[in-house]
Amino acid sequence: MDNSTQIILAVVTLLGSAGIWRYAETRLKVKAEQKKEEQSASDTILYRDDLKKRVEEMDRALKEANQELLELTQKVAKLETENTFLRREIDILKSK
Amino acid sequence: MSPLLEKIKTLAAELSVRYESLRKIWQYSDSQPTEITLAAALVLLYPIATYLELGYSPIMQILAPIAGLYQLYCVSGKCLSCRVRASFITFSFYLLAAVMYLYCGKLFQGASYWGWVLFSISSFGSLKRIKKEELHRSNGQ
Repeated sequence: MDNSTQIILAVVTLLGSAGIWRYAETRLKVKAEQKKEEQSASDTILYRDDLKKRVEEMDRALKEANQELLELTQKVAKLETENTFLRREIDILKSK
Repeated sequence: MSPLLEKIKTLAAELSVRYESLRKIWQYSDSQPTEITLAAALVLLYPIATYLELGYSPIMQILAPIAGLYQLYCVSGKCLSCRVRASFITFSFYLLAAVMYLYCGKLFQGASYWGWVLFSISSFGSLKRIKKEELHRSNGQ
């Protein structure tokens, strides 16, 4: 086989394989797009996204509640101490 | 329904399940071992076989091993777009071999020559699998 024939065959094969691949690639892309659209429209995905949002909201609410609880505990401890001192003062005043 | 007919129906259903399973494996399984095999064959087998059977051809005997080494480099690098590129080149070389054998009239001289067609199909399947994986990742699935 001479060189020119080899080159021609190589070029033709390369173009042919590129054409085949271009066609297959386009089909794969179209299928992937369709699958993506189907998934984004499906109820399961919507429900999952909704659940994710709710979990995030509940997590944020839990953190806020924990912070409030901490502040309230501090306030109660402070008031308890004040109460103890006041009772002691009342006792002292009564005894006088 | 006769027992024979029932047996045939069960067998047909089983075969259908097996066929579907094979189709899924072919489409989605991990293709790296196949890529390595195809690349190794391109580096080692391809130049020797084509030189002995078709004669000297610089396109096939010099460029093909380079393409095979490039494919091995891409598989080791784990870069998907690089693997797609390399697989396409590998597929082109195997297709070129099949076309060359066909042109020289050797393809139908013996069943062993059909191996090039088999290599072409295998490399094309591998190429499709990698592209699917790339699309799958880009879609964030």
